[in-house]
Amino acid sequence: MTLEEALLFIAFVLVLILCAVLPCLALAEIVARCSACLARHRLKAEQRAFALLKNWLSPEQLAQYEREGQFEVIGCHSGKRYRIRRARNVNIDELSKQGSRVAVWCFGPHGYLPVGDVMLAQKIALETNERAALQVANSSH
Amino acid sequence: MATQIVMDTTGDTRHEFDPADAAAVAEAENRFRELTGAGFTAAVRKADGRSELMRSFDPTAKETVFFPPLQGG
Repeated sequence: MTLEEALLFIAFVLVLILCAVLPCLALAEIVARCSACLARHRLKAEQRAFALLKNWLSPEQLAQYEREGQFEVIGCHSGKRYRIRRARNVNIDELSKQGSRVAVWCFGPHGYLPVGDVMLAQKIALETNERAALQVANSSH
Repeated sequence: MATQIVMDTTGDTRHEFDPADAAAVAEAENRFRELTGAGFTAAVRKADGRSELMRSFDPTAKETVFFPPLQGG
């Protein structure tokens, strides 16, 4: 192999490497941008949902939520007290008259909604149609 | 103005309408029927954090929220 041929071969290999690396770098950049965009979108959705939730809470519930990140509701049929914690699942505690947890309930709206929306749907369901909500719920005692 | 708030992955989508505008009211009623027909629950906000289920369209309701059907977690 002459020096010229060797240089040509090296150049060819370099071009091949560049052809493989550049699209990977571009793809990585696109993925990073998409992830950042998705994170911004989710944050905005969560902020929007919590603003809506706060608008729908009673003054007592809002004060408790601001203080503890959770609030209590009264079931419209049983009169039982429930505590809705800031989470998407397994976040509803049924409370005894003394305030201790006697059961944990889990239900929420279908689909992937922001946490604030989930908590608002749970509040409305327990306060306006408790039996129907508990019928679909899973529980642990 | 009255507002229909539909929960979704963006937080919510809001539809405002003028209760005095017959065409806008008809559009809002259609939206109500479509959503409740698809299993969404409609609730109207009352004073002091109380809410009430809305089983039929009420053009005088100031703020109605719609959420998807409930399921066990």
